[in-house]
Amino acid sequence: MTDVFVVGVGMTRFGKHPDSDATELGAEALLEAIADAGIDPRVIEAAYCGHVFQGMVTGQRILAQVGLAGLPLANVENACSSGATAIREASLAIRAGEHDVVVAIGTEHLTNQFQGALTPDPSDPEAAVGATMPSIYAMRARRYMEEFGMTREQLALIPVKNKSNAARNPLAHFRKAITVEDVLQSRPIADPLNLHDCSPVTDGAAAVIVMSDKAAKRYGKGRAIRLAASSLRTGSVDVVPTSMTFEPLTANTAADAYERAGIGPEDVDFCEVHDCFSIAEVLRVEGLGLFAQGEYPAAVERGEANINGRLPVNPSGGLLGKGHPLGGTGVAQVVEVVRQLRGEVGDRQIEGPRVGVAHCRGGKAVGIEGAACTVQILVR
Amino acid sequence: MTLADTSFRPGELEVREDGTGNLIGSRCNSCGAHFFPVRRACSGCLSADLETVALSTEGTLYTFSIVRQSLPNFEVPYALGYVDLPEGLRIMGQIGGCELDEIRIGMAMVLSLEPFGQDQHHNPLTGYRFTPVEAQDD
Ligand SMILES: [Zn+2]
Repeated sequence: MTDVFVVGVGMTRFGKHPDSDATELGAEALLEAIADAGIDPRVIEAAYCGHVFQGMVTGQRILAQVGLAGLPLANVENACSSGATAIREASLAIRAGEHDVVVAIGTEHLTNQFQGALTPDPSDPEAAVGATMPSIYAMRARRYMEEFGMTREQLALIPVKNKSNAARNPLAHFRKAITVEDVLQSRPIADPLNLHDCSPVTDGAAAVIVMSDKAAKRYGKGRAIRLAASSLRTGSVDVVPTSMTFEPLTANTAADAYERAGIGPEDVDFCEVHDCFSIAEVLRVEGLGLFAQGEYPAAVERGEANINGRLPVNPSGGLLGKGHPLGGTGVAQVVEVVRQLRGEVGDRQIEGPRVGVAHCRGGKAVGIEGAACTVQILVR
Repeated sequence: MTLADTSFRPGELEVREDGTGNLIGSRCNSCGAHFFPVRRACSGCLSADLETVALSTEGTLYTFSIVRQSLPNFEVPYALGYVDLPEGLRIMGQIGGCELDEIRIGMAMVLSLEPFGQDQHHNPLTGYRFTPVEAQDD
């Protein structure tokens, strides 16, 4: 079976794009990925497009916009993991031997659709009693504080770190560093979470071009990054209630990815994780096995997750700083990991990384731990 | 207080004429696991021999939050929590019957039927909240 390589990456600025839409943003990211790969667009054989709220055949509209037609294309919806799932589908098409050059796009234009908190689907029993996404994570944060003694100030250090990273990322939604005091003084959303603990409503798109061994040799010019694993899991139905302070879904998805990549958490040099809320970064990093349960908040306090730390987490700024255009998010994480591994990100560059992990998870359905989780491992 | 006898979610909350009621779930007749809402098959043993049952009305508060920003049809602030039932289920509900700053993890809670919005013809509906057991004794 062939290995899979990422050869071209592109992404738009993340933020508010009042004069654009998901198609325009997707086309911009795709054209940049094609230019970055240095390929004739005609060598692209198939496409997958991840988005959540952009309506039917968004992927076809994007391809039409850049003159590509007649390809096999599928639109993919998996909540916040939609874009990451598109990459997985692209990688499977290559591993299966069906295609040699496939593009995965993630796009979302949200600012014209949502103002405040996202909620589970209205048919969900928890939405019916007033659940919002921030309130669910707030409840997890409160339980984590109770079990592990995390302080409110320790939790605030996560948005402080990620927005400081975002200030060094010209494509990020937020470009301003903040303090712990700023987090604690921001508007309460769902106690103990305040506005700065929540990722923003963002427009943006990203695209990656993945290739087989054969195609990467021909087009990669030594810049290809190996996608060693692209794993996907759905949360299992709780038979007994699982802890809300640990994520078996993240751990199970990661276990599959580590096994396929032939590495362990000790080999990971840095990661981009799904920090939709400050507490989410804690749960994800511990679920990935990168820190023991209960220990990540103190490690952040010691600076271990900073860009110059032992294990940088969310050097791009993460969802909290870079922004969270649902479908675009998972693809943009892989764009950041690839650029870090290539050494192309200027003053937020991690020193000499070899292995990077991208983790996404999203969606809520009553009775299951989470709807869709992806873990992708990239190796230089 | 008179309650409407129409449940806000008839498949999930049973409301009786005397103002009492309970959540509705499934019990697996093969392995004994419980589920909420009603399921078609057991995710523990995959048996399809599931029975629809009334769930316990008392449990323990696992965690909670005070929600300060929500959808337009929910008046903020309100308390939201997860209550662990003896069947091994964790159920989300709003918390009532006490001040917001009195809520603590580990409190004993009981299901309480309360007015909960209106249907499309503006008829009142009955939903549920969890209230601290102590508050009931007052
Ligand atoms: Zn069973």
